[in-house]
Amino acid sequence: MHAPRSENYLNASVGIRSWLLTTDHKRIALLYFAGITFFFFIGGTAASLMRLELITPQPDLGSPDFYNRLFTMHGIIMVWFFLIPSIPTTMGNFMIPLMIGARDLAFPRLNLLSWYLYIAGGLITIAALLLGGVDTGWTFYEPYSTFYATGYLILAVFGIFVAGFSSILTGLNFIVTVHKLRAPGMTWYRLPVFVWSTYATSLILVLATPVLAMTLLMLLAERVLHVGIFSPQFGGDPLLFQHMFWFYSHPAVYIMILPSMGVISEVVPCFSGKPLFGYYFVVWCSIAIAAIGFLVWGHHMFVAGMSLYASLAFSFLSYLVAVPSAIKVFNWIATMHEGWIRFDAPMLYAFGFIGLFTIGGLTGLMLAALAVDVHVTDTYFVVAHFHYIMVGGAVMGFFAGLHYWWPKISGRLYPDYWARFAAILAFFGFNLTFFPQFILGYLGMPRRYQSYPPEFQIWNVLSSAGASILAVGYALPLFYFAWSILRGPRASANPWGATGLEWTTSSPPPTENFPKTPTVIRDPYQYDHGVPCMQAKDD
Amino acid sequence: MTERTLSFQYSTLQQERETVTLGMWAFLATEVLFFGALIAAYFSYRIWFGAEFIAAAKLTKVALGTANTAVLLTSSACMAMAVTTHEAGARRSPVLWLIATALLGVAFILIKGTEWFLEYQEHLVPALNFDLGRRGGVAEIFFMFYFCATGLHALHLLIGICLVSWLAFAIGTDRLKPGSTARLIGLYWHFVDIVWIFLFPLIYLAGRNG
Amino acid sequence: MTARTIWRCWLALIILLSLTTGLAFVPLGTATLFVSLGIAVTKALIVLLFFMELKASSALVRVFAAAGFFWLMIMIALTTADYTHRTDQRVPLDQVR
Repeated sequence: MHAPRSENYLNASVGIRSWLLTTDHKRIALLYFAGITFFFFIGGTAASLMRLELITPQPDLGSPDFYNRLFTMHGIIMVWFFLIPSIPTTMGNFMIPLMIGARDLAFPRLNLLSWYLYIAGGLITIAALLLGGVDTGWTFYEPYSTFYATGYLILAVFGIFVAGFSSILTGLNFIVTVHKLRAPGMTWYRLPVFVWSTYATSLILVLATPVLAMTLLMLLAERVLHVGIFSPQFGGDPLLFQHMFWFYSHPAVYIMILPSMGVISEVVPCFSGKPLFGYYFVVWCSIAIAAIGFLVWGHHMFVAGMSLYASLAFSFLSYLVAVPSAIKVFNWIATMHEGWIRFDAPMLYAFGFIGLFTIGGLTGLMLAALAVDVHVTDTYFVVAHFHYIMVGGAVMGFFAGLHYWWPKISGRLYPDYWARFAAILAFFGFNLTFFPQFILGYLGMPRRYQSYPPEFQIWNVLSSAGASILAVGYALPLFYFAWSILRGPRASANPWGATGLEWTTSSPPPTENFPKTPTVIRDPYQYDHGVPCMQAKDD
Repeated sequence: MTERTLSFQYSTLQQERETVTLGMWAFLATEVLFFGALIAAYFSYRIWFGAEFIAAAKLTKVALGTANTAVLLTSSACMAMAVTTHEAGARRSPVLWLIATALLGVAFILIKGTEWFLEYQEHLVPALNFDLGRRGGVAEIFFMFYFCATGLHALHLLIGICLVSWLAFAIGTDRLKPGSTARLIGLYWHFVDIVWIFLFPLIYLAGRNG
Repeated sequence: MTARTIWRCWLALIILLSLTTGLAFVPLGTATLFVSLGIAVTKALIVLLFFMELKASSALVRVFAAAGFFWLMIMIALTTADYTHRTDQRVPLDQVR
């Protein structure tokens, strides 16, 4: 426990300059981790204030305008500054080179630039929010946002615009890295699913984000120059803004979920002691989700005035996109079947993911049906649907990955009973928060409303109670992870008995990742009666 | 020539060359979607507004636009000559071809500036002096597209001119490290040309055969 | 890529430019847009295949080059599918303001 510490990426160089000017993908991952934790707490504070407000039907905390600014802040921060970067920039940055046997990403300095762009964009948007915020909702619909909204729209949108370039450069880096920097023997079909999922995510980052950039530029042009492009009073079509906005923002939700699915595909085989069932299906379904995800954006616009023909097309395509996700769920469950299941924290989060993502996905199918959507659109049903996917799915996946790779990243073990308790608490808190919202939406409570008819109160109270439990479940890891760094037992190279390349190097890894470039000799997730058969050649 | 050192994440020179090439093409793909989004919006409005939108295009200056297209196509040829002669090992030729490329780029900017000035005089600039009563709202939207598209294109061209000028300086003073830099800047320049190749018919050639 | 190829391509591009500008003034009816876009695509292909050396590049590079355009086609196709099927009447502008 007190053996002399070997050199690793954490102690290789000291001082703030060695961190702020690093090109080591592992240090950049930690820089990102600090950023997203910070933004998560700001977005979470906004959510907490909203849930406090909604305990009673009447306005309690300020004016309706203040409430509008709260949910706008919550949406903007959570979407662009937490969920979209979350897994790719932290675990993606850290693990991709390790998983493929490389020394770093293809373009390390570009990676650092990505982080600075993210922080710059985030600070600009935070400034806008601190100065008074925006009340348009995170979707900035026209012409309200350009001609009628008060607030710091230009600043907030500009911050998102800057952060978008961070996304693009990160995606570009990952794609080129996976193509060109794989170790000898690491063929495409030997790559861990997390790499395939991150690759699929990167395709979306690279192809969808530029459209957002142009859309935001046009929005700014309207706001700054007071000319109509999308505004009916100038002859423009507000729906064109929605088309352009959702062409990015729907694939964006797949940016948020695909990396989480990748994490689950890593955790489930390891803690079942069995190979992943249907590896080829799982990897090609990741690509299919990314591809088909580009074809469904109109389902956000069913009641906006889009032609019926286009609505039918988008409805059908939205049904199609659920199929590869469902295939993945079947494969994870089949992986667990007759396995040697271990109920460590990562696996508990994975269980949570599979159940909650399934509910979220099924309710998505309900929303894809035109007739149902007309009834529940812009109600809490939609809010519950996407929170089941984003929080029950993506955030659970994030915590699963965090708990799985923490020993590798920090070199320490965390107390498993506290971790399992936090996972279970978060699961219960989550369901209590968001299941009542399905009922609220079905009963007709609109979203983005500060006050509501008294008959909805009971469900809102349950939801807010759940939110307080969820908050504890999310806060606990802060404490035991901090404890693990100060007093936790040191981790070995492979504490979970997994098979990937990242588990052959020390915990934490040395700066150059591997003392010698590994040679890959077998497929991933090979277990012999629960005993791992490492991918790397033993030498 | 300066020493050839391999960045630590690469194993061979060939791997580095292929990797940076892929990186540049991936970046150009993002630019396709960036300009493409504007073009998709253009097509949507062209369909929705129909004849009025197309009629507004007649107010653009097709002679200057055609001249500018010729300038840019020639600049691409010069850029290609610069890259070819550089990779063949010459030192003076690439610098001259690069200067020609940059000068043609500047010529494009000057012609564009002239066009914009003329459009300002004819009250066709939205937010500044667009004559709404005479031209109508649809024409104003067309000209919003026109200025956004040509403005963003000009910005990209300016960046290209800076890169090409720097490259000429670096090759000329023997400061350029051996590698793919010239070829990659060439890819960027040709891409800016391709954007214009598509913008040209959409902006200048619509509605001329009514 | 030789100097000869480059200048032959340049000549082809200039000829195509003259063609496209000339044809713009010819009444072609509904084919007008397709003709001008078709010529633009041809010019772009010359620049891509020769100046940008795609003809001599690996399949992977060509896929990267094609990906952006392919995705753009998806965006244009589905968005314009909405606009070609709109049945609502647009109110003349002077009644809106």
